[in-house]
Amino acid sequence: MSSSTFATLSAVLVEQFHVDAGTVRPEATLDQLGLDSLALMEFVFAVEDRFEVRIPEDRLDPRQAGVTLAHLAQLLDEAVAARPPRNAAAA
Amino acid sequence: MPLPLSAGVPIGVTGTGIVSPLGNTLATFDAALFAGRSAVRAQPLDLPGIELPPVPVAPAEFDAATEVAPSRVPLDRATAMALAAARSAASVAGLAPGSFDRDRLGVFWGSGMAGAATFEATCRAVYADRRRMRPTSVVTTMPNAPLAEIALLFGARGAALGYACACASSAVAIGEAMRAIRAGWIDVAIAGGSESMLTPGVLASWQAMRVLAPIGPTAGDAAMVAASCRPFAADRAGFALGEAAAAFVLESAEHAQARGATPQFALTGYATNCDGIHITNPDPAGQARAMRAALVDAGLQAGDVGYLNAHGTATLPGDAAEAESIATVFGARGVPVSSTKAIHGHLLGAGGAVELLAATRALAAGQLPPTAHTTAIDPSFAIDLVIGAARAARRLRHAMSSSFAFGGTNAVLIATTPEGSIA
Repeated sequence: MSSSTFATLSAVLVEQFHVDAGTVRPEATLDQLGLDSLALMEFVFAVEDRFEVRIPEDRLDPRQAGVTLAHLAQLLDEAVAARPPRNAAAA
Repeated sequence: MPLPLSAGVPIGVTGTGIVSPLGNTLATFDAALFAGRSAVRAQPLDLPGIELPPVPVAPAEFDAATEVAPSRVPLDRATAMALAAARSAASVAGLAPGSFDRDRLGVFWGSGMAGAATFEATCRAVYADRRRMRPTSVVTTMPNAPLAEIALLFGARGAALGYACACASSAVAIGEAMRAIRAGWIDVAIAGGSESMLTPGVLASWQAMRVLAPIGPTAGDAAMVAASCRPFAADRAGFALGEAAAAFVLESAEHAQARGATPQFALTGYATNCDGIHITNPDPAGQARAMRAALVDAGLQAGDVGYLNAHGTATLPGDAAEAESIATVFGARGVPVSSTKAIHGHLLGAGGAVELLAATRALAAGQLPPTAHTTAIDPSFAIDLVIGAARAARRLRHAMSSSFAFGGTNAVLIATTPEGSIA
């Protein structure tokens, strides 16, 4: 997990979802954030858009118990690494 | 003529909250209201591939990002404004969550096009920017989103009802809350309305109806634009669209007394009906029936009313119909009238609530807000229009606010000072 990825996740949670900054730690699970399943889905969409990636649905179900922010950041890092070069689509 | 048979009991108003083009506190609202200071300015229409002249708008200074949704889903701007107004009204009323019986609290809310701004943005994202729909698109844009968030905030369990009847929406919401309290279904209500849809597609739709004041040639002249809405004037040419939310805490006299709350004023009369003749053209006879029914509901004669905050949209047919209905009910120049839309714009679903607030501020201040920008009243109108400066009205006891909507819905509310409501 890169620290900048986690910092971005934190910023989205605090600024857009008004989650208390004190609860946003890498080991915090998604269900500890005080967000319901709908808001969690919206949160995942928001960070996917921020990183311009899609996490495959079979890699992440945000409603599943025990998914930590560190795990989400890891999935984002993998998705970013797998992202084709920006000009590949245009070529 | 179908009139209520007798007067209903007054319902106390123990708190008000406002987010509006005239400011977000009563102090700023009053200052602009009585000085006739306009919030109207020009806004260009950003619609790719379509050349349209700018439109007059009255935005509210409000940062929607500061408002936390009880549901934690993203908020439409109008819903954020609604939450801010409701919080403020409840705070003034001392109505803290946990301090009342949740089964006896209802939320009654009006909006003409709730969620319109987010819906337009969502469509743009999908069609123009090829972005995805969000999991929360439905709950952010649904027409009952504002009242649902307010109900969540206070844990209301008595009722959560939305009213969509265009420009009469929030007047109807407030009136129906009065009825629910009078009938004993609930003891206390948070009632009002919100609207925020100053987005290119919505604005262009109103412009296409030719009801917005045309400002194209003079859009660079801020003073001309600010004065573009001139209700009841001989040279009137339409309105500006505004955005706002206004909330009231309504409660029965017994409920207010039991918790030691003091009503700032009472709602004494309400009536709603429908013209039933045309989708947009107003019917003076329908308007007159609604005003008379509200007077009966309040137990008042026309001569008891000392101020009328008119619907006054500054369209040619709208003001003509209303001038006729006012003269029918009150007699020629029988009641002082003003339209404050000249400065805060047409607030659509929030209009009835904001204009009721304006009427109650007149009660509190003992003065009547002017109809800004109108210098020469249409000579065919037999109404006593307050123009120029605010007019002193020290013995003012009862004020009426009327809302006449597209679709034919008419709604009229009467507010009364605490002294005046002691029967």
